[in-house]
Amino acid sequence: MSTVNFSSKEINFKIVYYGPALSGKTTNLMRIYERLTQDRKGELVSLSTHEDRTLFFDFFPLELGEIQGFKTRFHMYTVPGQVYYEASRRIVLSGADGVVFVADSDREKRNENVESIRGMLKNMSSYGLHPQDVPITLQYNKRDLVDIMSMEELDDDLRKDDWPRFEAVAVKGEGVLDTIRETMKAVLRRFS
Amino acid sequence: MTATGTVLALSKDKEHFEKILDEVIKKTGSLCAILITKDGHNIAARGNTNFLNITALAALVAGSFAATKQVATLLGEREFSILFQQGESRHIHISLVASTAMMIIVFDDSSRIGLVRLHSRRAGEDLTELIQKRSESPEKDELMVEQFKEFAVNLIDRIFTE
Repeated sequence: MSTVNFSSKEINFKIVYYGPALSGKTTNLMRIYERLTQDRKGELVSLSTHEDRTLFFDFFPLELGEIQGFKTRFHMYTVPGQVYYEASRRIVLSGADGVVFVADSDREKRNENVESIRGMLKNMSSYGLHPQDVPITLQYNKRDLVDIMSMEELDDDLRKDDWPRFEAVAVKGEGVLDTIRETMKAVLRRFS
Repeated sequence: MTATGTVLALSKDKEHFEKILDEVIKKTGSLCAILITKDGHNIAARGNTNFLNITALAALVAGSFAATKQVATLLGEREFSILFQQGESRHIHISLVASTAMMIIVFDDSSRIGLVRLHSRRAGEDLTELIQKRSESPEKDELMVEQFKEFAVNLIDRIFTE
């Protein structure tokens, strides 16, 4: 839920990257972080295991700067993808203004994508977050792999209504900025 | 037009929040006191916060508080109202305020945990009263929402093409 603090003159939004294990959520965040100039970003906090897998969440604040005297900021989060961190994923989704679902285009990951998006919608619903109020952007990642699902197949499995979706190769930075740009704008369009 | 995102604090609340936090710091000898939302957004901060990244702290504390709520559920409790983390020289005391916010008190060995507990509870009561009174108040400060959105959208385009 976007928050407006008239006392400290701040407006905050929250965007969460969701998706199955190793689909590229943290990679997305890292590519965005690298792309931003120093004055646009706060410290990147990563709660990961010794194997660099996300344990709880990765987080950094993206600073838009002052608008009408209000410091405006997007809080960017990822959830851990591994199946047994379901409780952590639910916690991180709390208060989200927008969600990016990062799907793995690898044909072998089809079931994981479907299970993950089902879990996401269920978790969102538990907080009263509904897709008509909280914009969801799909990112079909790893388009450079050999045996990938087609866009249409991924749409059939994952896409509902007119959710925007982007192809990406996050490790190379391809599609990463298009995804976040669209999501941030969608969040702002719903701000009232 | 008026902003209808969750309003955390009105301009006129600033003094009240700061006064309560200042009082806690003074009575306990703590380093700083910070009020955040349960979602991890900063509301007000007082004392010496130069050594702290408040934005990251708020996100992490909110995350850990939410995680311990799950632990509380496993124990048959609704949630824990206080968290205390002890370091080698700096410690942190977190208490739930009005079910929607949290007060973080950072202190070192020159302060006593008993005092921190006592005064955080008292300050919590004052803050609860203030927050509840505010949520009943229909008054909101003005923010030109449409202009804000237009400017922000253009800014996003600029940032990602810089």
